[in-house]
Amino acid sequence: MRLRTVLGLALVLLLVATSSALTQPVSPVVAETLANGLRVLLLEDHRSPIVSFQVWYRVGSRNELRGATGLAHFLEHMMFKGTPTHGPRQFGELVEQHGGQHNAFTSQDVTSYYVNIAATQLGLVIDLEADRMKNLLLDPKDIASEREVVIEERRTRSEDDPGGFLGEEVSSLAFKAHPYGQPIIGWMEDIRRITPEEIRAFYRTYYVPNNAIVVAVGDFRASEALATIKRRFGAIARGPDPPPVLAIEPPQNGERRVTVRKQAQLPIVYLGFHVPDQRSKDAAALEVLSTVLSGGRASRLYRHLVYERQLALDAGGDYSYFSFDPSLFWFWATAMPGQTPDTLERELLAEMERLKAAPVTGEELTRAKNQIESVFVFQEDSVHRRASLLARFELIGGYRGKDQYLEGIRAVTADDLTRVARAWFDFDRKNVGVLVPLP
Amino acid sequence: MGWSIKLRQRVLLTMAVLMMGVVPVSAAPIAHREVLPNGIVLLVAERPTVPIVVARLWTAAGAVQDPPDRAGLANLTGTLLTRGTARRTGPELDAAIEFVGASLEAGAGRDGLTVSLSVLRKDLTLGLDLMAEVVLSPTFPEPEFKRNVAQIQAAIKRSEEDPETVASRALGRLVYPEHPYGIPVEGTTESVARLTRDDVVGFYRSKVRPDTTVIAVVGAVTVAEARREIVARFGAWPVPPGSLPTVPMAAPGAAPAVEVIKRDLTQATILLGRQAVRQTDPDYFPLAVASSILGGGSSSRLYGRVRDEGGLAYSVYSYVVPGRYGASFIVGAQTRTAEVKRVIDVLREEMARMGRQPVSERELALAKSYLIGSFPLRLETSSKVADFIVAVEVQGLGLDYADRYRERVAQVTVPDVERVAARFFAPDTFNRVVVGTVP
Repeated sequence: MRLRTVLGLALVLLLVATSSALTQPVSPVVAETLANGLRVLLLEDHRSPIVSFQVWYRVGSRNELRGATGLAHFLEHMMFKGTPTHGPRQFGELVEQHGGQHNAFTSQDVTSYYVNIAATQLGLVIDLEADRMKNLLLDPKDIASEREVVIEERRTRSEDDPGGFLGEEVSSLAFKAHPYGQPIIGWMEDIRRITPEEIRAFYRTYYVPNNAIVVAVGDFRASEALATIKRRFGAIARGPDPPPVLAIEPPQNGERRVTVRKQAQLPIVYLGFHVPDQRSKDAAALEVLSTVLSGGRASRLYRHLVYERQLALDAGGDYSYFSFDPSLFWFWATAMPGQTPDTLERELLAEMERLKAAPVTGEELTRAKNQIESVFVFQEDSVHRRASLLARFELIGGYRGKDQYLEGIRAVTADDLTRVARAWFDFDRKNVGVLVPLP
Repeated sequence: MGWSIKLRQRVLLTMAVLMMGVVPVSAAPIAHREVLPNGIVLLVAERPTVPIVVARLWTAAGAVQDPPDRAGLANLTGTLLTRGTARRTGPELDAAIEFVGASLEAGAGRDGLTVSLSVLRKDLTLGLDLMAEVVLSPTFPEPEFKRNVAQIQAAIKRSEEDPETVASRALGRLVYPEHPYGIPVEGTTESVARLTRDDVVGFYRSKVRPDTTVIAVVGAVTVAEARREIVARFGAWPVPPGSLPTVPMAAPGAAPAVEVIKRDLTQATILLGRQAVRQTDPDYFPLAVASSILGGGSSSRLYGRVRDEGGLAYSVYSYVVPGRYGASFIVGAQTRTAEVKRVIDVLREEMARMGRQPVSERELALAKSYLIGSFPLRLETSSKVADFIVAVEVQGLGLDYADRYRERVAQVTVPDVERVAARFFAPDTFNRVVVGTVP
């Protein structure tokens, strides 16, 4: 039986949080910034006749204003609705016609598009992506029908999903000033209201070459790929630099708590603590800590709450290492039948007390580090994951950052974990969400 | 298109394609195959570049082998394999495998029970030792038995929150009324409550056996090495007396039925399903192509009408689910309560139209080139290769199936599609389940 990942964010970051440092100490990445500001990263990988081509825009729900949430994600949907050259639905048809798989996602910080396809079709994909970076149709008729699709997506993910619904409530409670409190998909009212003009303006502001990263990994010659990218993307004019996100979340004073009553089967508890981002000296320790807490069945929360005491069906802790701005360290647990949310909350807090009181064992620390390192090696097996990883590190300061990241992980001590737990898991500053199931 | 990563990911497009059982383009044999003296089929695929090894052990002790009043027995037995052996307790197994950043998981599906190992090349000996232990000397400790029964029951309870799970369970019952495929692999809370530790031990002793086992080893390992390591651990596994009970092929059910399951949700999940044919039937290939045209991807008819033009759903799809003992064809969508009737009408209309009018040459070519062209993506990682070669072996398709599949798909004509659509897509032959608030 598959354990449900309550916080998808955790899953995504775990999936991408890895690199090639172990197998390829000298990175063969070809990196170049075009005259228009477009950042290009290319990595040859000739094991399979395929390529993963990805375009990452530095725009997500973080760049949205109150009253217009969900714009970045709405625009992501519209990116599949055509340009004057490639009409509506043609993007999908052309890619699928050549056996390609494509999709996109929007996060708090970024919007990412990928095509995984036979390497012989790299030129086609470069054409399509360059075209839609600049020439999107954004036909009001298409916007109207796609609005309904986004609304359906919101119903699936939030309105009708107890965990998704609770997560939104806790985030919006935890952030008063910073847009990380807004749902990525947007509030229902905003999705309904957003105008074509706003989408158009958002597109013009953020979809400029100087706000994007192009990454390709696969069976091509980097020099040839670079030439094609220069020809197609190079023709797009640099835009004004998009406005920076200025909001800084003020320190939290006092506990914040929300209780949601909703048709569901089992109680859920979320606990969120404000923590620093990856620029902090505590970041590597927080990353290791989240693995100590929830990396596998030997991890602390699983061992104690799920296995030994059988209070929870699942439990975990998660840190968002790749977050652009300071985010939350999440703890979560789903109750076993008959257990109350109060018990879960108390036991999660007791686990934090334990972390603050005594260092983790050498075995726990080494295991967590080994797990983080091995995930990096497993990632090497997929061109898609290799490309995503390069982009992730590039977005937070440079694709070479993965080497430093691993050095940072290796340097973490048990005392570091105690220190960061004491520094950041302040019970007077917790954000608590409780889902009480209604029959 | 259009996922926010904040929440649980649902990879419908990819899933739909995987479930069609499509396969790779490759001229060279995809794996080495040999049969050990005790009947184990050993498959080895060398992929030397990345220092990881994936091993899968599949044995024919799936849920189809559950006694009629013991639904969930295979699943429980599978889960318990890693919960204690002659040498180690469950927590000791967890600690040993996770300390080296590896994973060892076991669980049952409809047709078989699978043990999966993912390990760094340097830890292969340890990984295979543990794998052999859990397969050959599990002890099924009583406390672990009780714990897992409770967890499975809780997971079943929670899954009642997920409308798609609720709908597929109900649909399975309708599509396979007289066959084990109609019973959920995990059983029900009631059937699991009836299971005893003796049931588990008995199931293991009689049904987990070498002569119905396939072992695939894929990754940084040679054929000679893999053979040596597997023979050393599994070569002396004795064949127990008797043989596995024969599982009947699924027979077409009675008259199709409609079931409505009320839930307090803003969106309704609609699933239509009926029995179809598996890969050994000549009509399977036209069926795969027809399904792709109808609801296989973003250029499919259903995606176009229901999502792109209608704005009626985020998720709409069709796919074939082939198994060892039967196959089903599924069409589904999720839409707002008010549009349930309209969406059902559109689905039915498009299904009927496929059998009434010839598809265009363009649609046919697109679907075929997608199915053929996307093969290499499905063999990108060692894990995917292992899944594929095990599936091909288990379904009795032969290791050249990849090439044959490509040829057979390429041969599909417009009249073929019309013929299989008339045979399999007639709307009145489908069972229907709707989960939600239905007007």
